[in-house]
Amino acid sequence: MIRWNADLAKRLACSDDERRALGPLIRRFIDLARKSRKEGFLSLEADAAQSEDPLLTVGLRLMAEGVSGETLEDILATYLFASDEKGWPFLRACATVEGLLSLSAGDESPLMIRKLVAYYGADRALAVLSELEAAAP
Amino acid sequence: MNRAVIEASDEPARQAAQVSRQKKDAIFELACRVAQIAERSRATEGASLADDALAERRKFLRFGLDLMAQGADAERLDLAYRHSPVTLDLDAGTRLELSATREGLRAISAGEHPAFVLRRMTAFLGPEYLDKASAWLAARLGKRHRKRLSLLVPGDLPDLLRNLSLDPASLERVIRAAGWDLSVAAIAGCAQESIDLVAGFYGKIGAATFEDDVDYLRGRLSGDDIGQAQNAFLEVVKNLEASGELELGSEDEFSSDPAFVHELTRAVMALDDKSLRAVFKDGDKKILARAMQGLEPRAHERILGLIPSRVSRKLLDAVDDAAFLPSREVLEAGRTLAHAVLAQAALTRYVPREALDAFERVRDWTAPELPEA
Repeated sequence: MIRWNADLAKRLACSDDERRALGPLIRRFIDLARKSRKEGFLSLEADAAQSEDPLLTVGLRLMAEGVSGETLEDILATYLFASDEKGWPFLRACATVEGLLSLSAGDESPLMIRKLVAYYGADRALAVLSELEAAAP
Repeated sequence: MNRAVIEASDEPARQAAQVSRQKKDAIFELACRVAQIAERSRATEGASLADDALAERRKFLRFGLDLMAQGADAERLDLAYRHSPVTLDLDAGTRLELSATREGLRAISAGEHPAFVLRRMTAFLGPEYLDKASAWLAARLGKRHRKRLSLLVPGDLPDLLRNLSLDPASLERVIRAAGWDLSVAAIAGCAQESIDLVAGFYGKIGAATFEDDVDYLRGRLSGDDIGQAQNAFLEVVKNLEASGELELGSEDEFSSDPAFVHELTRAVMALDDKSLRAVFKDGDKKILARAMQGLEPRAHERILGLIPSRVSRKLLDAVDDAAFLPSREVLEAGRTLAHAVLAQAALTRYVPREALDAFERVRDWTAPELPEA
């Protein structure tokens, strides 16, 4: 059950300009999902090595090790749990974890996009969803 | 929004970021020790926990191990930690140690692999400890001497795994849908060839973890348990196939093209001793082993008879390690061998014309189009 609380909302708060940077992140996850469906998770190790986002690197490497399901969710939760980021870095980290879990679950692109646009906030999510779906191959 | 995000809003836990590097290094050492405790606990069905509790000096860990040695499960362990006076009024570093310790002990209690125990605990320290944990695991898992217990449960699973391996993503999809525990239990009843096939789809640490878990379950599950796991696994495959999420390959994809096998064999048999010896002595044994799946036995005999015994041992090891390949991969390996021979031939003048022609045909061989389903 999702337990929204004031602290979480405060911690995720950031400007619209910052939120716009979620677009490239979502497109990256769509590309990673396409690659993993074709070549398997092991092929994502190369992406992990090139990534400058430490949390994305962690997630992709764990997936290549076969970590999945609740264990993966628990471990990624701990990484978020132990960080003290707030604002845009925390929002980005949360969206990254959401994307990794969606990737690991083998979600198709439409479902993955729907899970990730939620991080834009209710007022922007629908508009962004239409943009991303129009751009998705 | 996932559970991870909700839990991350917990204010006190975020003090982890204020913990010193020195304290985090100490917690990392503790996590490695807990992973070793997990390994001993799995090997002894928990009997080693009492000794480990006695030997332990860190109070949180000793407290938890002692409870586990007395039979406490994960839930009772959590309750005990929550109500123990030793866990009150802690500074950020000590609280981080307590959180990591509880997480590690919960994983031990669930019988998780030591690699998962370490990954869970080091997550509290942040991404900067990922490489350190990987290095520790790689060194530890690399030294494994597996017992290779055999527990073969007859059934269709080995053929199915071979079929699934045609598409790297298919096998992963099935294992993900079935879950790690069920998948390992099902595959524990297969021959080593199938286990190697599945392990090849993970990185080095993942492959070792998978093989460890197979060994662990082989020592604990009966043939009936494994048979049931295999039926459940096959059911998962059937459901995925019925829902269109999975498409199984054709068994024909494993049958090498006889004309290609004949041509590659003819090329090898026509090659002069010196060139053949040079290619197999200096070439990548892994690739050569794969190419040998496209050769008739008489070509195997000729190659093994020509190369020094030290090299033939390495080649035979590579042959043993290579999974049974689909025909397109055998074709690719044969073409790589042809490239190597032709490159070698360009340096010498003694290669017979018949061999050169045959290897050129192998190099230019194209896979036949598969018939429409």
